[in-house]
Amino acid sequence: MTVSQPNPAAEGALPPPRAERGVIGWLRFNLFKDWRSSLLTVVAAIAVVFALFYGLRWIFVQADWGVVAELGGRIAIGNYNTVDSCASQNCFWRPQAVLIGFVLILGMAWGVAGKGMTRNIAIGAATVISLFAFLPYSWEEMGMDVRLLLAANLPALGVGWLLARYTPLSTYLRISLLAVAWFVVSMVLLRGITGAPGLQPVSVNNWGGFMVNLILAVGGIALSLPIGILLALGRRSRSPVVRLRIPLGNLRKLKLSLPIVKWLCIAFIELFRGVPLLALLFLSQYLLPLALPEGFFLTRIPLLRTAIVITLFSAAYMAENVRGGIQGLHPGQAEAARALGLSGIRTIRLITLPQALRNVIPAIVGQFISLFKDTTLVYIIGVLEVVEIGRSFIQGNIQIWGGADKEYFIFVAAIFWIFTFGMSRISRRVEERLGSDSRARN
Amino acid sequence: MKLIRRKDPESRSPLDEIADTRGEATEPSDEIIICRDIHKWFGDFHALRGITTTVRRSEVVVVFGPSGSGKSTFIRTINRLDEHQRGEIIVDGRTLSNDVRNIDAIRREVGMVFQSFNLFPHLTVLRNITLAPMKVRRLTGDQAEEAAMDLLVRVGIPEQAHKFPGELSGGQQQRVAIARALAMQPKIMLFDEPTSALDPEMIKEVLDVMREMAGTGMTMICVTHEMGFAREVADRMMMFDLGRIMEEGPPEQIFDDPQSERTKLFLSQIL
Ligand SMILES: Nc1ncnc2c1ncn2[C@@H]1O[C@H](COP(=O)(O)OP(=O)(O)O)[C@@H](O)[C@H]1O
Ligand SMILES: [Mg+2]
Repeated sequence: MTVSQPNPAAEGALPPPRAERGVIGWLRFNLFKDWRSSLLTVVAAIAVVFALFYGLRWIFVQADWGVVAELGGRIAIGNYNTVDSCASQNCFWRPQAVLIGFVLILGMAWGVAGKGMTRNIAIGAATVISLFAFLPYSWEEMGMDVRLLLAANLPALGVGWLLARYTPLSTYLRISLLAVAWFVVSMVLLRGITGAPGLQPVSVNNWGGFMVNLILAVGGIALSLPIGILLALGRRSRSPVVRLRIPLGNLRKLKLSLPIVKWLCIAFIELFRGVPLLALLFLSQYLLPLALPEGFFLTRIPLLRTAIVITLFSAAYMAENVRGGIQGLHPGQAEAARALGLSGIRTIRLITLPQALRNVIPAIVGQFISLFKDTTLVYIIGVLEVVEIGRSFIQGNIQIWGGADKEYFIFVAAIFWIFTFGMSRISRRVEERLGSDSRARN
Repeated sequence: MKLIRRKDPESRSPLDEIADTRGEATEPSDEIIICRDIHKWFGDFHALRGITTTVRRSEVVVVFGPSGSGKSTFIRTINRLDEHQRGEIIVDGRTLSNDVRNIDAIRREVGMVFQSFNLFPHLTVLRNITLAPMKVRRLTGDQAEEAAMDLLVRVGIPEQAHKFPGELSGGQQQRVAIARALAMQPKIMLFDEPTSALDPEMIKEVLDVMREMAGTGMTMICVTHEMGFAREVADRMMMFDLGRIMEEGPPEQIFDDPQSERTKLFLSQIL
C-alpha cells in the first residue's frame, strides 16, 4: 500500500477542533472547561498536595519502621524456624527452597511468554527477592546461608528461562503441571518427613507468616475455579435425575423426577454463600472435629480445615460467577454446537465454557483477590499468618513496640496491595488478549 | 463457483472420506423426512397443531407464513433442538426418540443455518468449520482443514479463513455458517430465515450459495420470505399459520393460484 494515494474516505474529513489538541488544549478541555470544572480541579489539586505532603512526611520522617525490621524473616515464615517448631535443626532453608523452585518456574513462564508482562513480573519479583540478601542486618541476625539462598533466586530465574528455551519444558501446559507438582512437593518439604535426615517434621500448626497466606491463596485459587465450574454446571443440569415411582394403590403410580445433582449444588452454593466466612471457619474449628472420627488427619490439622473451608467458600461464589457467564451467552451458541452433532459435554467444554469464562474474568479475578485477602482470617484459629504474627508480637512486647501497630499494618497493607494490584493487572491483560481477536466487531 | 462435483473414483477429496465414515441407518428410501401429526406445546401454548408432511430426497421446500406461526419450531423439531410431544418424525430412516445417541446420529446428518448465524466468536473461521468434523467425524486436522478451505472457496471467502467471526460482515458470517454446516456432509439442510438479519446488499450473496446448493441435489427446508428465491428454487412451498400447514403446493400454485384466503392475504402483504 502506498501512502501517497488520496484516501477517498478522507475527503471532506476535518481535523478535530483546536481546543482538543496539544497539552494546553488537553488541559483546557479536561480540567478547565468552565468555572465549575476549574474549581473542582483546583480543590482536588490542593487535596492531593496535602495528602502527599502529610503522607510522605509520615512515611519517611515520623513513622518508626523498627517493628518491621525487628520481625524480619518472621513476616515471611512466622515461627517456622524457631526452637519450638524445629527443635534440633535449622529449618530456614526449606521455605527458601520452595521459593527458589517457584522463581525457577516463573523463569520458565518468562521463557515461554517472551517479552511483555510475564517478563516484567518475573524479573521484578526475582530482583526484589534477591535484594533481600543485602538487608543491613548483622551476620548474627542474618547468616551467610540465608543471604546466599535469597540471592540464588536471580540465577534460578535465569536457569528457568534457559530450561524453557532449550529443553522440552517449553509449553504452558507442562509448566503448569510442574507448578502443581512443585506445590505438592513444597507441602511435603515444609511439613518434613519423620526419620528423613535434615527433614525433621515441622507441625503445620507452627507454620506462619506470609507463607501461610500464599499457600492458602494459591491452593484455594487453583482449586476453587474448577470446583466452582463443576458446581455451576451441576446447578444448571437437569440430569441425572432420580426417578421415583410411588405406587398409589391399584395400578396408579406417582412418578417423580428429582434432579438430585442440581439440588445438591444449589444447596451447597447457597449454604456457603449465605454464611459469613468467619462463622464457617469457627464451625470448621469447633463443630467439624466432633463429627469426625478420633485421630482422623483433618482433626489434627486445623490449618487444613480452614484451607478447605476457604476454598469451598470461594468455589461457591465462583460457581455463581461462572453461571452468570454461561447465562449471559446467546442460547444460539449451544444450539449451533448441538445442531452440528457435538455432544453435550463437548458443547460445554469447547463452546460454552471458554466464552463464559472469558466474559466473567473480572468477576473471577475479583474472587481470587478476595480469597487472597480472606486468608488473613485464619488468625482466628491461632495461625500466625502475616497480620497476626505482627499483631501478636506487638501485643507481647507492648512496652517496647506499643505504638507500632500502625506501621506494621500499613506495611502489610502495602504487601497485599502490591500482590492484588498485580493480579488485577494480569487479569486486564488476559482479558485484552482473549477479547481483542474475537470481539472486534461484536 | 459450482457446488456440485462429480464423483471421480481417481480423485478423492477429504469430503469423500467423511461420506465413507458414515453408516447408513437403513435402506435409503426416497422419503427422507416423514412427519406424522406433530404437536408441540410451550407450556400451555400450542405451537405446532398437527403437522403432517413428507420431504423427498433432493427436494427443496420453502416454508413461509406470519411471525409466530411455528415455522422455526417446526424445523427445530426435525433435529431435536425442540422436542415434539406428540406424533412421529422419521429422519433418514431413524425415528426421533429421546435416546441421546439417536439424536446425535440424526444431527450429524442434518445441517442447520440460523437467522443470527451463531458462529463461535472465540474461534477463527477455519476452526469454526473444522471443529465438528474433527470432533464428531474424527477427521484429522489436515483433512478437516483441506475440506474447510474447499468449502470456503465454494462460498466465496477463502481469504477470510484466519479471521474471527466478529471481523466479518453479516453476509460473510452467514456464508461461513453455511460452510460450517456443510462440512459435516449433511444429507439435509435446514435454514431458519438465513437472510432476515442481513443488509439488502448481502442477501444476494447468501441466496446465491443456497441456490447452488439446491443445484447439487441437497435436501433443503428453508424458512424464508425471499419470494423470488422461492419461486425459482423451491419444489414445494408451505404456508404456515397458527401452528398448522395452511396450504402446501408448488410455487406456481402458491403464487398464481393460492387456494386459501389466508395465503392470498399474507402474500399480498409481503409482495
Ligand atoms: N422457547 C419458547 N418458549 C415459549 N414459547 C415459544 C418458544 N419458542 C417459540 N415460542 C412460541 O411459539 C410460537 C411459534 O414460534 P416460532 O416457531 O418461533 O414462530 P415463527 O418462526 O413462525 O415466527 C410463537 O408464538 C412463540 O412465541
Ligand atoms: Mg422464526
